[in-house]
Amino acid sequence: SAGPTKRKEKEPFAIDFAAPMSQTLADALYTPAASNSTISLPKAQWKSRTRNLLPDDKHFNSRQLLRLFLKPKARMGSRKSGQA
Amino acid sequence: LVVSLRKVQEACCYEPVKPKKRRDEENFGEDEFNEEVGRCFLRVLGVKKSEPVGDRIVRFLGLFLKVASEKDNQIASSGDPETNSFPETPTTRLTSIIISLVLPLLVAKDKVVRFRATQIISHIINTLDSIDDELFQLIRLGLLKRLRDKEPSVRVQAVLGLGRLAGEGDEEQDDEDSDDDTAGGVLEKLVDVLQNDPSAEVRRSLLLNLPFTPATLPYLLERARDLDAGTRRALYARLLPALGDFRHLSLTHREKLLRWGLRDRDENVRKATARLFRERWIEDCAGLQQLTEEGAAPATGQVSKPSYEALLELLERVDIVNSGIEGGIALEAMKEFWDGRPDYREFVTFEDQFWDELTPEAVFVARTFNDYCRAKGEQKLMGMLEDKMPEVTKFAFFLQGHLNRLMEGVQQVALQAEEDAAEAEEDTVQQEFCVEQMLHIALSLDYSDEVGRRKMFSIMREALALAELPEECTKLVIEVLRTVCGANTAGEREFCGIVLEAVAEVHDTIMGEELARPDAALEADESFHSATSHLSSETTPTKAKKSARQKGGEEEVDDEEKTIREIMVNMKCLHIAQCMLQNVQCDLEENSDLVTMLNNLVVPAVRSQEAPIRERGLVCLGLCCLLSKNLAQENLTLFLHCFTKGHEALQTISLQIITDILTTHPVLLSPIPPSTDQSTADATELPQPQPSPLLRPLQKTFLKSLKSPSPTVQTTGTVALSKLLLLNVFRAAEGVDELLRHMTILYFTPSTRANPGMQQALSYFLPVYCHSRAANALRMARVAVGVVHALLGVAEEAEEEDEEMVGLGVVGGCLVDWTDGRKVMNSGGVVGAEGECGEAHLLLAEELLEKVCMPGTLKEEKKIYFSVLSKLHITAPTTSAPAPPSERLTTLTALLDEATEAKVANDATSRNALARLRNAVWKLTETGFGAQDATVV
Repeated sequence: SAGPTKRKEKEPFAIDFAAPMSQTLADALYTPAASNSTISLPKAQWKSRTRNLLPDDKHFNSRQLLRLFLKPKARMGSRKSGQA
Repeated sequence: LVVSLRKVQEACCYEPVKPKKRRDEENFGEDEFNEEVGRCFLRVLGVKKSEPVGDRIVRFLGLFLKVASEKDNQIASSGDPETNSFPETPTTRLTSIIISLVLPLLVAKDKVVRFRATQIISHIINTLDSIDDELFQLIRLGLLKRLRDKEPSVRVQAVLGLGRLAGEGDEEQDDEDSDDDTAGGVLEKLVDVLQNDPSAEVRRSLLLNLPFTPATLPYLLERARDLDAGTRRALYARLLPALGDFRHLSLTHREKLLRWGLRDRDENVRKATARLFRERWIEDCAGLQQLTEEGAAPATGQVSKPSYEALLELLERVDIVNSGIEGGIALEAMKEFWDGRPDYREFVTFEDQFWDELTPEAVFVARTFNDYCRAKGEQKLMGMLEDKMPEVTKFAFFLQGHLNRLMEGVQQVALQAEEDAAEAEEDTVQQEFCVEQMLHIALSLDYSDEVGRRKMFSIMREALALAELPEECTKLVIEVLRTVCGANTAGEREFCGIVLEAVAEVHDTIMGEELARPDAALEADESFHSATSHLSSETTPTKAKKSARQKGGEEEVDDEEKTIREIMVNMKCLHIAQCMLQNVQCDLEENSDLVTMLNNLVVPAVRSQEAPIRERGLVCLGLCCLLSKNLAQENLTLFLHCFTKGHEALQTISLQIITDILTTHPVLLSPIPPSTDQSTADATELPQPQPSPLLRPLQKTFLKSLKSPSPTVQTTGTVALSKLLLLNVFRAAEGVDELLRHMTILYFTPSTRANPGMQQALSYFLPVYCHSRAANALRMARVAVGVVHALLGVAEEAEEEDEEMVGLGVVGGCLVDWTDGRKVMNSGGVVGAEGECGEAHLLLAEELLEKVCMPGTLKEEKKIYFSVLSKLHITAPTTSAPAPPSERLTTLTALLDEATEAKVANDATSRNALARLRNAVWKLTETGFGAQDATVV
């Protein structure tokens, strides 16, 4: 029993080993790069200033905005809502 | 003819058999066979990366070569058992042919060919044991070049191959001659790429393919902070578990890895770290325990039985006395541990004996178990906790015992000469940690049992009166007292009374002893010093003492000792007062005890000549101000003055106090005469009454803090302003625009990159601020053009200094986003196109056009403004939303006309932006005027 939706049949990929080599492949194979630089990473990208590391995480969050500096345990507005 | 996917698979099974077949016809078929294989393999080189068939054939080739060479070697060695070097066989010849075929293709122009070529070579060297020396050199060179390939996928393959070469480097260096800088060279290059490659994929595959050596380890572990979450996770989930016993890592590494991993911004990294800790690291300890106990370690992959000793060892290995303090990573690590190890939850017990023989590790087990069960609050866990923990009264007795032990230790340290004190001091530090943990447990207990409550109350009261009690313990004791006294007003009054009695007692103990027996007082003072110096960051008394000793001659010593003692007493008393005030909420003026304390202790301290005393006094005064509006009003200018005249620490404290006062008593900023209706001050035009005279100096102070050279002051100023602006404390005061503009500019300025605290605070604050209220978004729209203009200047400077800075396009994108009406939260807390939405973008358009039409505006600058203009979202209002004020549309239309006439747009993109805007405004005008009763969407 087939599913409700027909899965799209993927075209099977084939390599024709027996056939003589196609021209496009031959071109691709035997065309060397014009120069080393065209296939290389630009030198500017060889070095990363940050060494690809994250900056020091300070874990800033809303809690820091909701509490007093001097009374870190008391939440703002807790006076109004009575005993916290 | 066509070899389909299935047939390749079939071929996989069939081909390895082929060598036998081949062997029969070796003499006449080998060359042809090799040629044929080579010919076939050239076909694979054109297969795209996304095609799994390509990978499969490459793997098939590897497998085939491996099997074939094993067979060859068997045959070769059976024929001649003497040869132990690698003989030349048909397979080695075939390998050489393939490699020689593929090598030149490494520099093909086509990236697919380069990818497959690199993949084939890397795969071959990873599957085979040996390769012809000559070829080996060529491979090495070829792969090193590909390490810098333009395509990340090619670099990944090069990494896979070179990782193997780097791994073999050490061994080979011995047999090969000195021309071999290869191994070291390869490794160095790989480490360099690990740090610098722009592609995370490349870094990740390196991370997993570099050999673990003491030399590479720091670089591997460094990836715990990689920019890419996947790489970080690979480290925690794959590399570290494979690394072997965690105890080989240094203590700093263990702590850092835990801290970074458990607090990572990515949830998957956090999970991987938690698993690493509670499954791998504990196993490293438990496995060994089992080995010593039962003589057999559990088989690999099997989990050892829960072991109390192992858990203690694990905690010891993460240096619990340091990592277990408040804010330390061990608390989080243990939370994850209990969460993932129900077996250990069942296993632990805390019998009476446990509490007698307490170690820092043991008490930490109890404390975190207690925390975990209470935080979860599940019935089953609470029941388990109740079964395991002693009742309150009993616990109070244990706590008392350990407090006594701590005080004995403190005294002992004081009595010993400095050289001998090291060991006793070490013990005292540990005992102090134990007491702190017990106090944390005490804070969480249920005091409904009156007997237990009274017992705890009297123990805490006695403890607080001890002058030698270390600071952190003092703070916790006060918090326990607050809990024990009960939450109501009467409880609070009793609490204040008790604490202030203790302050008096501490004062008398030290000063009184001095009068009676100078020597004893000296000792007490000494003990206090040694007990606090290692944990308190405010070691200024110690420094004062040292410097006093240095400059003091013998005859002056007495006098100086006295002064120092006075400072110590004051510091201790102020500390108690400060901790108390942090836990009090009543009205100051209604509590005579507090008023007395303010006048006798705090006010003199504020006037003191000694900087540390003055600072602590100010904090106490600030805390008092929170309890009394009148006091706050009287002292705000004093705090402003402290900011202006003070040094870094004082400035930070003043900023914090001022901010807390303003958030607690926002009425202090009400216009004069205070308007009865607060909401009128909300309007954008100036309120009728005079604005509060405090506004200007306050805003000036905050502006100054933003410009401060000290990162601490800058960060404090930023966080303070974030709070005040979010709470809208300044209302619609004029200066707010300038503050906001400044904060926004700072966010993008490269010089603040060095201050991540501030940077991260701003990146949190700015969108939250703009999207929380429509009026805020409007304010941002008003300052946006100024921000861009200022940043243009900054960008020019940055270019001269060769600093990196975000592009102005990015800046524009942020500004558009922040002023996007669709993202503003309306009064109902829903994000959506309602309320006054959309107006901010209209205003921004207005501002942009005005600037564009201004004669002095440069061409480059205009371009940026137009690009911002093109990103604005302006649509017809929905029925529920009021149409924007028609004046705004009129002005906008006029400006559009002016812009067109003056021909300010001098390229197609700009003209398009203008046309688009005109269209949108026209539509809006239509609907705005015509949609009074008709619904137009």
